[in-house]
Amino acid sequence: MYLFLCIVSFISVFPLYWMVSAATNKSADVISGRLIPGGYFMENLNNLLAAQNIGRAFGNSFKYAAILTIASLLVSSLAGYGFEIFHDKGKDLLMSIILLAMMVPFVATMIPLFQMCSKAGWLNTTIGFILPTISTPFLIMMFRQSARSFPHDIMEAARIDGLSEIRIFFQMFIPTMRSTYAAAMTITFMNAWNSYLWPKVIMTDSASQTMPMVVANLTEGYVTDYGMLMLAVLICTLPTAVVFFCLQNAFAEGITGAVK
Amino acid sequence: MKRKILAALLASTMVLSLVGCGGGSAETPAAPAADDGAAEEAPAADSGAAEEAPAADATAGGDETLTVWCWDPAFNLNAMYEAEKVYQKDHPNFKLNVVETPWDDIQTKLTTAATSGDLSTLPDIFLMQDNAFQKNVLAFPDVCMDLTGSGIDYSQFAAGKTAYSVIDGKNYGVPFDNGAVVACYRTDLLEQAGLTIDDFTDITFDQYLENGKKVLEATGKPLISMQAGECDLIMMMLQSAGASLFNEDGTANIVNNETLKIVMETYKGLKDAGVLTEVNSWDEYVGDFVSGNVAGTINGCWIMASIQTAEDQKGNWAITNMPSLVGASGATNYSNNGGSSWAVTTKCANPTLACDFLASTFAGSNELYDNILPSGALATWAPAGDSSAYGEPNEFFGGDAVSAKIVDFATKVPTNITGAYYYEARNAVATAITNYINGSDLATELQTAEQTVNFNMGQ
Repeated sequence: MYLFLCIVSFISVFPLYWMVSAATNKSADVISGRLIPGGYFMENLNNLLAAQNIGRAFGNSFKYAAILTIASLLVSSLAGYGFEIFHDKGKDLLMSIILLAMMVPFVATMIPLFQMCSKAGWLNTTIGFILPTISTPFLIMMFRQSARSFPHDIMEAARIDGLSEIRIFFQMFIPTMRSTYAAAMTITFMNAWNSYLWPKVIMTDSASQTMPMVVANLTEGYVTDYGMLMLAVLICTLPTAVVFFCLQNAFAEGITGAVK
Repeated sequence: MKRKILAALLASTMVLSLVGCGGGSAETPAAPAADDGAAEEAPAADSGAAEEAPAADATAGGDETLTVWCWDPAFNLNAMYEAEKVYQKDHPNFKLNVVETPWDDIQTKLTTAATSGDLSTLPDIFLMQDNAFQKNVLAFPDVCMDLTGSGIDYSQFAAGKTAYSVIDGKNYGVPFDNGAVVACYRTDLLEQAGLTIDDFTDITFDQYLENGKKVLEATGKPLISMQAGECDLIMMMLQSAGASLFNEDGTANIVNNETLKIVMETYKGLKDAGVLTEVNSWDEYVGDFVSGNVAGTINGCWIMASIQTAEDQKGNWAITNMPSLVGASGATNYSNNGGSSWAVTTKCANPTLACDFLASTFAGSNELYDNILPSGALATWAPAGDSSAYGEPNEFFGGDAVSAKIVDFATKVPTNITGAYYYEARNAVATAITNYINGSDLATELQTAEQTVNFNMGQ
């Protein structure tokens, strides 16, 4: 049993190890299958900095992902909260329509979205990046589920104390649901950071390129420098890894159920 | 009732916050981003800020700036920057905004723009893979500009190369990099079998097979490795005899293609004798010749850049032309694999400038081709081969003047027809060769391949 688990964890960890070790080797060594770390890290780094504007792409990615995460958490949690707490005849129908939208693949809506963004002059802008995914059915559903476990007593007490509905949301709901927010934040940030197809379509200017686009740039051409490529992938992986590890505990809690 | 009002209120806050967040973020952080671009990318794209979103109108009104998409910093981006310098000598106000965009991304953006009917997002000039040229012009006839009669002298380009961007007799592209096929060999390994590079020059595939057996016996190494499930070598062999997978009218030419049959049989012969070995991925393919598991390779001349990463093998490599097919009419020792051409979009606000720029650089400047030669960019523009830079010896390849040799190869490449369904046909043939090697019947496999292609074409 443990042997099996060991094998499986080895299989899942090995690519990560290989990525790190490849980032310290030169391209020819990576191709010939060298597995131990080498001494070419600085050289790869210098080559990478010379070949691509990593700092700008990193900054762009971070900016887009951070703004999208904040905006999306606010919008989706407000929607999820509203769906669960308030009652209305059309509510369930509306929710089904939203869930139905989850089934439509992004590539199907890509071209109309592109047309809209292009007409509105949002190409190469943050708003163009965030608008299509600012409210996702998945997040709304997730917040609706967790709002279900939000104690009504707290709400009633707050109402009696004369708190307005919007303040109940900001002062009661958000602090109580911290772990759900953390989980949602991890998911949204990762998706935003890794998103590739949409930025690739709307970011036509080199000044607006994101990290995944830069990594893709490195694989083009007749010769690929694998050491440099792996270093870029490593840099690209770091932020999501940091976000995940920081919010790991809250993430697990948020996924399993929020209120203690 | 009160709750309903509240619900409506919350819903409207949601909408408002959506608009609010979006609007605010667009105004504030996006603007500095564009400025950063101008500041940081000093030589290339300070037009990043000027040519923001509505790039369409930026080139109008006497502005001599052109936007270009291409993908390899060491190679074609570098070539564009050099071309900019050459052209600026006579046109001091001329400027290029080169945006690094991988080929797959260019294809996606091209498809998105053409399908949505909004061409304003396209650049003025972009680089297109030769194999995809006919497909894109046929599928999106509004995108590329007809360059026939635009002042570009096509007679100075290798005919086999120009043909990739000719559709219905009209020129849509300016040929750029050379994909002429070279056969590369490890001379030290050949020596062990008592052979020299001359034994591999101007030979047929029959002689190649015999030589290969000798090398295999003496060194235990195959002559060549190829990626399984891909048919690069098949396509090179086919084009070396001037044959294609399509007829002039666009119909598939697979079942009754005598040359293709000879190619398939030759390939299987090499594989069965152990002279050719198949590997699973591109990385393994490159790894094989870099680490000396095989005695050579046959591919487009751009493969030499990968070969030269094996610095320890300096002086042990030599190049020559590829073997020719036996029994095929029109067989030659020359072919082509890969390469790309520049296209001008119909959205270009200043087509005269774009055409003049291309005509006086990529189709008319020895200086440009000399400057980009060190980066490995070999011309298909014949006059470039006469310049002294092309005659300089390359120590890695035993002091041979490889550049001049390759330009000469390129002029002898027979033309072929790629058509709109080139990649589909390639895939079908790749499946056929895999099954054929594994023992199934050739005629049946070709039949299936043709049916697959016809199905893809909707016939």
